[in-house]
Amino acid sequence: MIDFIQNSVDGIMIGSRYALLAIGFTLIFGVMRRLNLSYGPSIMIGVFVGTFIFIEFKAGWMAVAAATLVGAVIAGIYVERLCFWAIRQGAALASMVSSFAIWMQLEEFVTLSFPDRTYPFPPLTGDVPLKIAGISIQLSYLVMFAMATTLMLALNLALYRTRFGLAVRAVSENPVAARFMGINTSRVIFFAFVVASALGGFAGFLIAANEQQVTPLFGLWATFKGLIAMMLGGMGSVPGAILGGFLLGVIERQATWYLGAEFRDLVAYGLLFVFLAFRPGGLLGQRLAERERLALRRV
Amino acid sequence: MDEHTIQVLSNIGMFSFIALSAYLLLITGEISFGQQAFFAISAYASGIATAMWGWGLGLGILWGALVAAAAAFLLAWPTLRMRGLYFAIGTLAFAEMIRLVFEVWTYQVKIDGELVGPDGSEGFRGVRYAFENDISNLEYMLLIYGLLAVVLVFFFLIERSRLGAIFRMLGEDELLAEMQGVNRVYYKVLATVMSGFIAGIGGALYIHLNTYVEPKVFNVMLGVHSLAYGLIGGLGTSLGPLIGVALDIGLLESTRLFTGFRMVVFGGLVAVLLIVRPRGLLDEDVVYWLKRRAARWLGRSKKPRPARRRPSISAPEVRDAED
Amino acid sequence: MLRIEGLRRHFGGIEALAGIDYSLEAEGVFGLIGPNGSGKTTLFNVITGLYPPNGGRIRFHDEDISGRSPHRISAMGIARTFQSPRVYRRMTVRENLRAAQHTLPGARGNWLTLARSPARARAEGHLDELLEATGLAERQNELASNLPLPDQRRLELARALARSPKLLLLDEPAGGMTPTETHEMAQLIREVAAPGRTCIVIEHKMDMIDALCAQVCVLNFGRKIAEDAPGEVLKDPVVLEAYIGRQKGAA
Repeated sequence: MIDFIQNSVDGIMIGSRYALLAIGFTLIFGVMRRLNLSYGPSIMIGVFVGTFIFIEFKAGWMAVAAATLVGAVIAGIYVERLCFWAIRQGAALASMVSSFAIWMQLEEFVTLSFPDRTYPFPPLTGDVPLKIAGISIQLSYLVMFAMATTLMLALNLALYRTRFGLAVRAVSENPVAARFMGINTSRVIFFAFVVASALGGFAGFLIAANEQQVTPLFGLWATFKGLIAMMLGGMGSVPGAILGGFLLGVIERQATWYLGAEFRDLVAYGLLFVFLAFRPGGLLGQRLAERERLALRRV
Repeated sequence: MDEHTIQVLSNIGMFSFIALSAYLLLITGEISFGQQAFFAISAYASGIATAMWGWGLGLGILWGALVAAAAAFLLAWPTLRMRGLYFAIGTLAFAEMIRLVFEVWTYQVKIDGELVGPDGSEGFRGVRYAFENDISNLEYMLLIYGLLAVVLVFFFLIERSRLGAIFRMLGEDELLAEMQGVNRVYYKVLATVMSGFIAGIGGALYIHLNTYVEPKVFNVMLGVHSLAYGLIGGLGTSLGPLIGVALDIGLLESTRLFTGFRMVVFGGLVAVLLIVRPRGLLDEDVVYWLKRRAARWLGRSKKPRPARRRPSISAPEVRDAED
Repeated sequence: MLRIEGLRRHFGGIEALAGIDYSLEAEGVFGLIGPNGSGKTTLFNVITGLYPPNGGRIRFHDEDISGRSPHRISAMGIARTFQSPRVYRRMTVRENLRAAQHTLPGARGNWLTLARSPARARAEGHLDELLEATGLAERQNELASNLPLPDQRRLELARALARSPKLLLLDEPAGGMTPTETHEMAQLIREVAAPGRTCIVIEHKMDMIDALCAQVCVLNFGRKIAEDAPGEVLKDPVVLEAYIGRQKGAA
């Protein structure tokens, strides 16, 4: 039993990374109804900018964090302009494939500029294991969890207490109606992208700081974890993304413990598939199949 | 014809199968990022047949494609209710699961004192049928293109048949099609099984050409590429996916110009292309224009067509995945 | 031939159909009216199998069709049009009509139906007649999405007729049309659609209902509140209250 609890706690700690990644994904999906397959890679650009700063200028973690954020945002804007803004409404598949093409472009760009397998990254804290009520938690994990949660709360506040947040929610709900109400949807989408990239950049920073290293595989990894967490929680829902992230973390941990590392991803994908088959709305998407059928059949 | 050219052409032919399989589903209105699963299943099945059970190549390929089609049949049911993007991700998840299963699955038998068979992440080596039976690279390439020609004829017939029209109806407006008597379940499952079979042919050819395969080959990259080929080459005709494959593999792999930063260039080109031609090079408008030109050139008189017209095969937009 | 008993359908907390009894025996045009949200379109949706009923039964020619899938109901000879014209936008007018024929019993068995064959020729002939009758012959090779609204509505009607249905459900066939266009549509329905089959027409335009229908059924809040000849129904105080009362509430 203690194992199960320990795993769950570890899972939640790790899950906070996934939750952060998923939030960005879901924000973008919410306002655009398209998948951004370049999300992970654009964060990766940020992370590698950070590591560059670290290596070249021996900068402290705050400078590195800032650099990561800026890098991620710039990459995000590049993707947004090229793959989404430039492709007219309705050609959603073209946007997704375009974002895939840019994914490959960015990934190769990174491997060309950083040919080694791994690069160092400054840690936030030392490797200090804590013991709380018999459960051991790494300090660095806890810090990450705390920062992630703070960010999520901040985002929630922004979404529900600011005009920008209102605009984002309006566009997510119904872009046509939003436009009729005078909301500049393309500007909202742009800023949503910026926010999502910033969040992603920060997530990338936290993850890299935790690992104390970065590799070019980060892009793919981040995209997938973010995607799965987002789908588990419900596409387009920020609280869903958070929940989905934690759930994914816990599931992975338990699967690794009880079945072995090779089965970890298999279980995650299997869970995703089951969700899609029976509850595509995810945890928080309301009986989506029924709703969507009704929406589709609004004849 | 030198060896290098043969190799490039063989690859183009082989990957065309999986591109066509994604394209077929696209016609019926489904975006699949998971066709590589059937590619993989067939590769393993056919490899097992020829390398471990001693079957002939032709039978092995057929067996592989049939097993892939059966897997597609199984996949069709849980994905029936998934719409638009959910279907895309569902197929992606499925394909990844298949890949991960192959990463851990071993099935080996002793043949002539050696262990042969799929060995988890080591992959499946020793599929040497082509080698042992003295099939030259040129002959193999002809085999690939022979099978490809058969599949293309099949597509040609479909595009002109009632079946193709029904597929297109589903792709255009599924609800309307249902109201007009189209049995959605039947035709969607049919399309999925057909696409699985076609991808399967490619997979079986792949493993026999390379004599080995590793599970990591069947990753999401392959899946999205398959779809992208159709989108680049054009969704107006089944030749579109082939053009996409030829552009990617032929033009870029073989030219030494861009070694090292091939993806940087190609990725950028694709993104730009999709801005100006979101439905690819040979999209429906172009195909229609070409057909009219050809008809006129051949002297056939057609009724005057006052408005711009899009002939039948067109890929749908991604359905709004409402949350 | 159409018998609806105690039909219920709810969506979440909203009861769209609260127990409807309705039956039609004869050929001809019948009206279905009621304020917005009274359940008219939902009734069509349930009859055609879009949503299964939550209670009650639908019988068509004595067969219980409640909850069957849309394509099977369509095969029994029920066709419908939609409030906003729903056509295959990227196909031409003619192709749209031809698409409706693809799943008719005669079309089966011939995989390459688009090749020349006597059956195909007959089917094409039928299309020609339909195009003539609905006035679409001249625009038959235009993209459906290029048509102006009245022509799209004609196309809607034509493609419903292409399957020679026994029961035709028309959902606001004159929606958004000028008085002249409405009059033409009414004529079209009377002369082309109605003969030889049963039509149910949902409309808000009372003069059209008056001109076309022998009998009118009125819904309000998912219940039938009246069923009579148009003249009578439009004088019924219960019906008037449903409409005007609703207006007052919305003001």
